[in-house]
Amino acid sequence: MGSAIVRLRWMLVLVWVAMSPSVPAAELTLLVSDANGKPVTDAVVALYDGKTPAVNPNAAGKIVQKNKMFNPKVTIVQTGTSINFPNEDTVRHHVYSFSPAKKFELKLYAGVPTNPVPFEQAGVVTLGCNIHDSMVGYIYVVDTPFFAKTDEKGKAVLKLNDGQYNYQAWLPGQNKPGAEQKITIEGVTEVKITLP
Amino acid sequence: MIKFKHIRSRIAFTFLTVVVAIQLAGLLPLKYALSKHADTLAEEQINVGERVFVSLLQHNTQSLKQATQVLAADFAFREAVATNDAETIESALESYQGRIHAQIAYYISNNDNLVIGTTDNEQTLFGANAKEDARQAMLENQSGTLKFDIVAGKPYQLITVPVKAPETIGWIVMGFAVDGRLASQIKQLTHLDVTFVQKMHQRDWQLVSSTSTPELSNLLVKTVADIYRQKLSLHSVDLNGQAYHLKIRSLHETKDDALLVVLQGSVEPFTQDLNTLFKVMILLTFIGVLIFAVLIWYVSRKTTEPIAALVKDADNIAIGDYEKEIQVNSTDEVGHLAKALNSMREAVLQRSLRIQRLAFNDELTGLSNRLAFNQGVHQAIMTHADSKQKLSVILINIHRFKPINQTLGRDFGDDLLRHVGQVLKQNVLGEQDMVARLDADEFAVLLQQTDQAKATRYADKIQQVFERPVSVQGQAIDVRTGIGIALYPDHGLDEESLLNHAETALQESRAKKSPWIVYNTALEIDQSETLTLISDLKEAIQHDQLLLYIQPKIDVTTRRALGGEALIRWVHPEKGMIFPDQFIPFAEQTGVISDLTNWMLLRACQVLASFKKQGLHITLAVNLSTRDLNNMELPTQIGHLLSSHGLDAKSLKLEITEGSLMQDPERAELVVKKLAAMGLHLSIDDFGTGYSSLAYLRQLPVQELKIDRSFVMFMDKNSGDASIVKSTIDLAHNLGLIVVAEGIENEFVLNQLARLGCNEGQGYFIGKPMPEKDFSVWLERWEGQNEIDIDIGDDLSYAINPLDIDQQPPDPFKLDTLGD
Repeated sequence: MGSAIVRLRWMLVLVWVAMSPSVPAAELTLLVSDANGKPVTDAVVALYDGKTPAVNPNAAGKIVQKNKMFNPKVTIVQTGTSINFPNEDTVRHHVYSFSPAKKFELKLYAGVPTNPVPFEQAGVVTLGCNIHDSMVGYIYVVDTPFFAKTDEKGKAVLKLNDGQYNYQAWLPGQNKPGAEQKITIEGVTEVKITLP
Repeated sequence: MIKFKHIRSRIAFTFLTVVVAIQLAGLLPLKYALSKHADTLAEEQINVGERVFVSLLQHNTQSLKQATQVLAADFAFREAVATNDAETIESALESYQGRIHAQIAYYISNNDNLVIGTTDNEQTLFGANAKEDARQAMLENQSGTLKFDIVAGKPYQLITVPVKAPETIGWIVMGFAVDGRLASQIKQLTHLDVTFVQKMHQRDWQLVSSTSTPELSNLLVKTVADIYRQKLSLHSVDLNGQAYHLKIRSLHETKDDALLVVLQGSVEPFTQDLNTLFKVMILLTFIGVLIFAVLIWYVSRKTTEPIAALVKDADNIAIGDYEKEIQVNSTDEVGHLAKALNSMREAVLQRSLRIQRLAFNDELTGLSNRLAFNQGVHQAIMTHADSKQKLSVILINIHRFKPINQTLGRDFGDDLLRHVGQVLKQNVLGEQDMVARLDADEFAVLLQQTDQAKATRYADKIQQVFERPVSVQGQAIDVRTGIGIALYPDHGLDEESLLNHAETALQESRAKKSPWIVYNTALEIDQSETLTLISDLKEAIQHDQLLLYIQPKIDVTTRRALGGEALIRWVHPEKGMIFPDQFIPFAEQTGVISDLTNWMLLRACQVLASFKKQGLHITLAVNLSTRDLNNMELPTQIGHLLSSHGLDAKSLKLEITEGSLMQDPERAELVVKKLAAMGLHLSIDDFGTGYSSLAYLRQLPVQELKIDRSFVMFMDKNSGDASIVKSTIDLAHNLGLIVVAEGIENEFVLNQLARLGCNEGQGYFIGKPMPEKDFSVWLERWEGQNEIDIDIGDDLSYAINPLDIDQQPPDPFKLDTLGD
């Protein structure tokens, strides 16, 4: 992170930063680890160039409940995406969210609910099941097309244009995303992010 | 060391001391162990109590937590929380608080420091800056440990439960007051008193609540400060003499504040039980010692009782009661002791009887002795004193007992004495009468209630018995007795005078040869005369009242006069002539005899010297007594006499009796040999009356033997006597001795002796003892009668053993050899 320079610090405020004209086909490799240097799986990283909005505003997605787990556990969607919660378990689930980004409740159901749930507002939506306390899922609603989720090696690869970006990293279980960081991407860039 | 009067006290003391010591040795550690045990129990109880207390709190916490969790999991509540619906949250908390009996309840949101409480003072609760701390504390509490805190000056147990949606979005905190209810709940389970004390903002410790008495809890508050400072968890305090164990546990502790719970257990309930146990033990010990004491007393009494009995028996023996036999009841040591005592008693009894017998009995005859007789007479006098009855004391003496003893042997003499004793005993008049042997041949008889007539009748009877010869050891022997009688009260009022007077009468009886004499005062004069004689005798020697008499001696064959035997006569200035029989025995007893001998020797030498002057060469024989033969100076004295008178040793002959030699044979032999060596002629006098054997005499340097007159006097009538004389002469001749016969009373005997070969003779037929001045007259007449030349002067053969004349080699005592 030697090239990363902290410029500003805002809490829960997204800021578009003026960037130089981007050159496509740059490749960003992200390596996320925790304080101990261990690679973090399912860490979410979102990059903002301040001008590119979310695409596919009406895209649909789904989070399956199987084996009393949300699958995938961490889902990243762009604002305007609707997500269905098909229940593939034999037991019924009561999926809810009290997160400010999206409050909803799918009362005790089996199979596929009739209506998917739209997520309009960017933010973290923590999913729970009123019956199964152990079930936790996260939907990260972003209003940028640049985002990625690390694999089991803590690694994620992103294709985007060269240019100036702000990025945020977020670890499931954390209420808030990390602080925005500035980054300049040129060609193949590798960024190491250490989460607290 | 303690002294005991009785063995049983010692036994009892020793054993009881041991028993008490053992019991004490047991009781003291027991007491120690019991109090230690009580402490341990109290401590154990308090430890258990603590565990119970902890587990109770944990249980409480758990259930409260669960109850709280119900609220935290409630969907509606979570929704209210998620939507920050403060009013709903508060009412929900309120209703839950009531349901689970919590005193305080509030919600703390996770991110925006929202605090919603059922009380209005959440600001005071945590202070303006304390919110972060409070949350931190909440998070710490997640580990499940107990959480206490002081809220608004009051201690609470705080239960914190997260509210998840599904992630933790906030915390519900329920507070349960630490108060009397909790304390009594704990007490109920732990049986320990519980006291909560707290400290706030550096202020003093103060009591929160307590189940114990105010007195104790106040004390605890004071004590706790110290204990807390010293970080001690276990402690004990004393209140009013009672020990309390304390267990102190901190429930909440910050820089400023602290909340402590003090569990206190009294030792007393345990010590009470143990004290009871100890008291029972002491009681048992006491009873044990008591029983033991009784047993020891009984056993030692049983042991020492027989000993005490034996001591009593021994005391009895000590005071002279030997008769009662000691009971032997057991076979143990005491039994042995009793047996030993018994045999000792037996031995002492026997010895005492023997001593009595020895003291009062005559061993030989079995009769009483002098002591017993004296007592008997004394008692008889006592019993007769008041009556007019008389007592007779009779003394009996056997005549010539000594010669009988000497010739027939001591055994014979003893048997004779026994026989006489029997005779006397058989003839007594009554059972009370007493017979005793007083001396060798002297008996005494006590006749009770006997007057003179009866006593003389008894004496007559005795005389009659002894008129016939007595048979002893198969030999018939004539016994002649003298009897003296004294009567009580006529002749004496005590036993001593009676016996003395009886003795006087006895002497008279012997002297007068009368069968018996009854004492009368006339006898007394003779008696005293004898006594005065002895003192007079000494004077007589000094004042020349003594006379030398000479009884002539001749050669039996030639009838030539040879000399004579020098004899003594006493011309008493008042009593006239006294014969030697009357004073020689006394002189011998008192030692005056030595003076007499000296006088005799001197006179004999003077006479010989004067005869020598007249041209008469005769010999004189002087008798020597026992004392003289024991006088080692005698030879020297005689030597002096002879030389001072210019006499030859041959002219003096010395006559010795067998008896005088026997008194001290070694000394006598020494003196005799010295005399013989001086050339003195020695002669054995009265031969045949003593014990001496010829063989013994042969060893002595004697030249002459004089046959006793008793054998010679009647030899003309008694052939037995004649044969004794004959054989004696033969024997003497065979031994080379000259034989002299005494007691020649007629010519027939003289001739008879001449025929038997006797050498010399003397007797009334030849000449009675005569004063020296008459001797020369007799000499002339005798020579004339017998037609003998008076030619003695030239004839020295008088000194030569005629038997030795032809003998070769010459006799060592011959004159010519003696000159050397």
